[in-house]
Amino acid sequence: MATTTAAIAITSADLLTDALSLSATKTLHKAGSTVGLDQTTGMTKAYLTATTRVDIFPQLIEGSIAFAGTSSWVYICNESEDETEYVVVKIAGNIIGKLYAGDYLWMPWSQREDGHGDNHHGDITIAPSVDTGMWFSWCCVNEGTEYPTENLATA
Amino acid sequence: MATTTATITINSTDLLTDELSLSTTATLTEAENSTGLVGTGGLGRKKLASGHAQYVLFDGDAYANGAHKIYLKNTSTTAAEYFTIEINSEQMGKLYAGDWAFFPWEANADTNDIKIDPSADNMVLEYMIFIDE
Repeated sequence: MATTTAAIAITSADLLTDALSLSATKTLHKAGSTVGLDQTTGMTKAYLTATTRVDIFPQLIEGSIAFAGTSSWVYICNESEDETEYVVVKIAGNIIGKLYAGDYLWMPWSQREDGHGDNHHGDITIAPSVDTGMWFSWCCVNEGTEYPTENLATA
Repeated sequence: MATTTATITINSTDLLTDELSLSTTATLTEAENSTGLVGTGGLGRKKLASGHAQYVLFDGDAYANGAHKIYLKNTSTTAAEYFTIEINSEQMGKLYAGDWAFFPWEANADTNDIKIDPSADNMVLEYMIFIDE
């Protein structure tokens, strides 16, 4: 068992007439328990040079029956410094939102089969807004997932 | 224009053999410019009393397409209690007791609602939207 904590602090002195100072901290647990998450894909750093939509966790089999209902957390950051550059983030083929330069997200991920039946599974995909090169980082912390079996290509 | 920052910190000394220590700060801005977001629905709480009924927390029809940001937190202290989070009827994930999430929301379609579905009665979700007006 590992102890991994995720914390957020949202602050503003001028969004409201009163100062905003919101914070939350949580240890990442396996679903419905107080046992710490103990697996991760590790942090990926990627430089994408096409606007093509890509599956950022291709090594995981979303919609896996074996790991249905388990807990996974996803971090994605757009490391661009150009305010006009963004990335469109989708889950199961559906737009969540756009991460602009410096933006990140932290969200739970069910890795669940899509509900619209369009065979997107639970994929989390990103599509950069430009093909001139954008840096990204992402990772997934989870309690287990299914990996593809060996692909034995035939000549 | 307002200046609102959101800082995430992820730490672990034993998930890997090397220490994990990640910290990122984002200033919340409008789409494709550096103007700070000025709209917010304020920090709110929603108690879903009974029936485990799915509830539309943010209606895609009520917001313009933009660089909105969403904060959610399950205030429960019972480990087994969770909120299922859906976006446009696709399941994103589950927020268990004490879990929080922060993500962009484009509201790009009338159907792009964010819905919550509690696993038990009387659960309370804390939420906040930062609106790109």
